[in-house]
Amino acid sequence: MTATHPMPTLHTPRWLTLLAPLMALPILLYAPLATAVPSFARQTGMACASCHTVFPELTHFGRMFKAGGYVIDNLKQVKDMSLERRENLSLSDLPPLSLMIQVSDTELAKPVPDSARAAGASQNGTVAFPQQVSIFYAGKIAPHVGAFLQLTYGNDSGTIGIDNVDLRYADMRVLPNDQSLVYGVSLNNNPTVQDLWNSTPAFGFPYVSSNSALGIPYATQIDGSRGQDVAGISAYVFWKESVYAELGVYRSAKQGTAGPLDSTSAGGVLATPAPYWRVAYETNQGPHSLMLGAYGMSFKLYPDVAGCPSCDPPTTQGYGHLLGGPSDQFRDLAFDLQYQFLSEPHTASLTATHIHETQTLNASVLAGVAQRLDNTLTTSRVTATYYYKRRIGGAVNAFSTTGSQDDLYIATTTHLPDTRGLTAELSYLPWLNTKLSLQYTAYSKYAGLKQNYDGFGRNASDNNSLYFVAWLAY
Amino acid sequence: MTCYLKLPINARRRSSTPQWRVSALLLATGLLLPATHAWSDAAPNATPNATPNAAQQLAVGVCATCHGARGISNLPKIPVLAGQGEAYLTAQLHAFKTQTRGDADAIGYMWGMAADLTDEQILNLSHYYSTAAAPTPATVSTRQAVTAQITLGAHIYTQGIADRGVPACSACHGPDAHGLGDFPRLASQHAAYITKQLLSFQNTTRDVAVMHAVTTTLKNAEMTAVATYLQALP
Repeated sequence: MTATHPMPTLHTPRWLTLLAPLMALPILLYAPLATAVPSFARQTGMACASCHTVFPELTHFGRMFKAGGYVIDNLKQVKDMSLERRENLSLSDLPPLSLMIQVSDTELAKPVPDSARAAGASQNGTVAFPQQVSIFYAGKIAPHVGAFLQLTYGNDSGTIGIDNVDLRYADMRVLPNDQSLVYGVSLNNNPTVQDLWNSTPAFGFPYVSSNSALGIPYATQIDGSRGQDVAGISAYVFWKESVYAELGVYRSAKQGTAGPLDSTSAGGVLATPAPYWRVAYETNQGPHSLMLGAYGMSFKLYPDVAGCPSCDPPTTQGYGHLLGGPSDQFRDLAFDLQYQFLSEPHTASLTATHIHETQTLNASVLAGVAQRLDNTLTTSRVTATYYYKRRIGGAVNAFSTTGSQDDLYIATTTHLPDTRGLTAELSYLPWLNTKLSLQYTAYSKYAGLKQNYDGFGRNASDNNSLYFVAWLAY
Repeated sequence: MTCYLKLPINARRRSSTPQWRVSALLLATGLLLPATHAWSDAAPNATPNATPNAAQQLAVGVCATCHGARGISNLPKIPVLAGQGEAYLTAQLHAFKTQTRGDADAIGYMWGMAADLTDEQILNLSHYYSTAAAPTPATVSTRQAVTAQITLGAHIYTQGIADRGVPACSACHGPDAHGLGDFPRLASQHAAYITKQLLSFQNTTRDVAVMHAVTTTLKNAEMTAVATYLQALP
């Protein structure tokens, strides 16, 4: 996506060279999110409200449906059975397909500078028609196996590409005392996309956001930074619908590159398989559901540096991207919480996560793109949501990212990633599969400062945005 | 699907992570994949042998998410099934399957869940829940408002409201509210669920002629009172 931004020239002012990557980052961080899919409703014969409070937030039943491999179905099946009555085939007579369309408009408090003309400003009021169109194959594939597979056209990329994918095998055992033990395996391309709660990054608030507003400039690795850039396999158990544990491992699996990954691969390549873990405890009592959990991941990444920075003289050409030697290590440790109150006509929820990343930047320091060896990056988010009759409601979300100051690694004027603010959203659902949302995001600090964060007079509040989105899924 | 776990030759040479770690993870994954009863075996339409064991698998694997492991739901709007009459359960599952029971949650949840149940599965599930022990009612609040509700509820349940033509519920549901034949057990049922059903009988979204006649003149507060009384009954 950075390729769409012109390379800085000798005449490009400094603020523009600083702003260009910052403008690209939000798009990376706010990559299209996966959503609720009506093909599940068609497959199970159950209305959206069985699995969702308001899509895409899951209810306990929705979590069990996901843990169970998306396979509960009530459609007529094409079957094949052996003499021993073993099922060889069980195919729904309708393929579990869904379509999703998002149309949006974004107004920034102050337009961002023109990305090519030094004195110009970009147009304010960005209509995205569509912002995103996705096709899903979401449902049962075979008796034990289900899929959530999303292909997305995005107006920012202008192309169709693979989006979130979660292929599952799941099974269930009845233990003594009628306790259930669900277990399974997920193959997916975005750490936490397989998670069952809405407090983790992949399915956390905001479920949809503008791709033309400026987002939070830096994120931890597990916080969406590696979505659709890796592939992983994880195994999980869910005991008594209460205790959840998962262990997995990811490798780089880049799209748009051919053959074995080599020095032509931009964006950072995992040097070794990255382990992922997740534990959670959920308790349900009456209309209340509470989950406390922790998750984490450890990454060893080659820095996204082209050329040979250690050569004499350093060169940026002829060597491609680093794919050997030392790597940077990122250790992400996160805690999360989710509380839901589900009743009629009120539904409310509170989600929170705190992600702390410890960075050991051996390779980046050697390559001359980081100043400090040991950095940290910490993100916290809290979201409160309320809906009346699952029809009208909204959410308030507070977010904060703080981290080490690094003159080379952090490309902001202050060399700090610190950004915080609030997002408020009002939504109206005329039908359960149609959501009209108005979202306002206000920054109290951006890239380390409240005022003049870019050194050219732009304040954090200039990035405040008003975003309208119509979200249809059928 | 496993190709991305195969390390490229050059990465293998350079990798600082011992390969046994990856192998151990894959092995652990493999150990979690015994080819036993499928989740889908527990799903309604995929049960070639609807035995009592399969009913338990279905009840624990699918129904339990809402109705609780032994039919004791802890969600107020989802009914307790444990100890419910077998004939009543069978009739309701058929009503969901044939889409003749039309209250809101029946449409939203149960029409889908019951659509592909076989007659044999319905019988086995009904037996499973009817033989499960009914819950012990929660301790009743001693607040005056609740006590008054229970007194009113008990009066309506046992004697009806004569001047408005509301018969005593106990005439059909039994003096202990444990149900009789096709008439369901109401004792220790969630009050919120009972109230919701009384309302749906009244507005005929759940179209049962007898219950519509009984509930026509009932006021909301009276429904809540009966429901509160029944929830507290053992």
